[in-house]
Amino acid sequence: MTRLVMQDVAVERPSRAILSGITLTLNTGEMVALLGPNGAGKTTLIRAALGLERPTRGEVHLGNRDVGHLAPRERAALVAWLPQVRTAVNDVPAVELVAAARYRFRESHPRALQAARAALAQVDAEHLAERPADALSGGERQRVAIAALLAQEAPLLLLDEPANHLDPAQQLAAYQLIGKLWQRGAGILCVTHDVNLLASLPNPSRIRVLGLADGRLRFDLPYPSDELPPALSQLFGVSVRTVDTPSHRAIVTEPARTNGSTTPSTADTR
Amino acid sequence: MNRRLVLFCVACALLLGCAPFVGTTVVTPSDGFVFWFLRVPRVAVGAMVGAVLALVGAVFQLVFANPLATPSTIGTTAGATLGALAALVAGVPALAGGIPLVTLFAFAGALGTSFLVAAVAARGLASMHDVLLAGIAASLGATAVATGLQYAADMQALFAVTQWSLGHLSQVGYRGVLLLLPFTAITILLLFSLTRALQTLAGGDDLAAAQGVKVRSVRTVALGTGALGVAACVAWCGPIAFVGLIVPHITRLLFGPTARRLLPLSALAGSAFLVACDALARVVLPGRELPVGVLTAALGAPALVGLLARRRHPGQ
Repeated sequence: MTRLVMQDVAVERPSRAILSGITLTLNTGEMVALLGPNGAGKTTLIRAALGLERPTRGEVHLGNRDVGHLAPRERAALVAWLPQVRTAVNDVPAVELVAAARYRFRESHPRALQAARAALAQVDAEHLAERPADALSGGERQRVAIAALLAQEAPLLLLDEPANHLDPAQQLAAYQLIGKLWQRGAGILCVTHDVNLLASLPNPSRIRVLGLADGRLRFDLPYPSDELPPALSQLFGVSVRTVDTPSHRAIVTEPARTNGSTTPSTADTR
Repeated sequence: MNRRLVLFCVACALLLGCAPFVGTTVVTPSDGFVFWFLRVPRVAVGAMVGAVLALVGAVFQLVFANPLATPSTIGTTAGATLGALAALVAGVPALAGGIPLVTLFAFAGALGTSFLVAAVAARGLASMHDVLLAGIAASLGATAVATGLQYAADMQALFAVTQWSLGHLSQVGYRGVLLLLPFTAITILLLFSLTRALQTLAGGDDLAAAQGVKVRSVRTVALGTGALGVAACVAWCGPIAFVGLIVPHITRLLFGPTARRLLPLSALAGSAFLVACDALARVVLPGRELPVGVLTAALGAPALVGLLARRRHPGQ
């Protein structure tokens, strides 16, 4: 079992604190969703967990060792990162991009390519192997990025808005792949803006939801909980309500009233 | 792709093999002196310099994630020019006790300038854009000092500097080969050993770090090693333009951006290209020799533009 522990972590800039008093643990086999408004510090939290950002206070431990004391290769063996979808930086074939994610393994290039093809096959993206990375669509790029995540073979995964900029079908596809990784025993911390996508994961009742605002953790709730909608409402400063659909209980944002009132309206104003 | 690769390697090998026979008089190994003590060492130096310039160009384009990066991006050429000029103006004898002093000064100038810039990258607080800017600033600074020095120079020194700054491979005997060989070997071996790290680095700094790359040390080694190899080449041959910019791009257009292919093929193509240009420089003007830098630019630039134009219209 590998564990990520953040203990009273703060990240401060001269002008302001980006994170303060962050305490959380992530074990293999767990799924933790991290929600929060833009600028809440979600990405910084992930960067601190990866050891890319040195906390000004507190400690980050990965597998019982301080993340700052781990060699990059040792760290990469414990935790992998899926950055936000962005435009591709270069035109290398997808399979080389995935093979590059296996840097931590001291292995020959043919072996890395073989493992990369296997990882692509696991996300149904074998056909993308030879395509230049900058010729992939957003959904395809995310599929290749998830294959790279797989290829790194780390037990803990930190995902930064894996469904960002994807159309609804691709969003579901991305979450299905994430569900697969979780079922295989990975411990996943997933930053998202869309709490409803969590319902598409295989075992929603086991998901924890963390709320982050102004650099502080505001709540830590199980996903199916009556306290979650009001907590989200407060976190984002919008009014929300729940709508029961045949498959799950959806949490929807309500249109803001022109008078600035935040009381939930019962009627759909559209 | 594989047939193209074999053809390409054969063509490069042929160019390298035939070059010693090309000159105003076609010589054969039986001609003894001209062949063994003029042509062969000259081709050997050309092959080493071409390989280093093109390889370092390819590596710097990867490290800076910038297609305009060249071996001189971090101030190497400007520093070498300043060093050579300082030596010539100070009246340092070209040779003292068997040590080529002007070359030594150029080498010191090149290393001083480019290590200064590499140190900015090594501090890790600077982005690669900052390093690029530092390189431009260092180049401009060194050039400014060099320009100032020229006012203090006499005609003879000025002429020597101009000649030096055009780039040249001409030489007698094997001293250059022996001097350049260790630098070439270190540069090529160290940079090749970084292939995998550079490929991972191409996906972005933070992602590469998360994937296990020691980003800062890979960068520092790449910049430092590149600077060392290029400083040696520029000090010995003067600045030879365009090889380090054009050859990696041509290789990339032909064989794709994967570092594992790009680096060795750039090195091979660079040596063949420079040696071929130098052979042409020996024969193109009867009775006198063209500076090789003129030919590398004159041949390389249209080749690159042509390949770029073809890539734009893949159907034609």
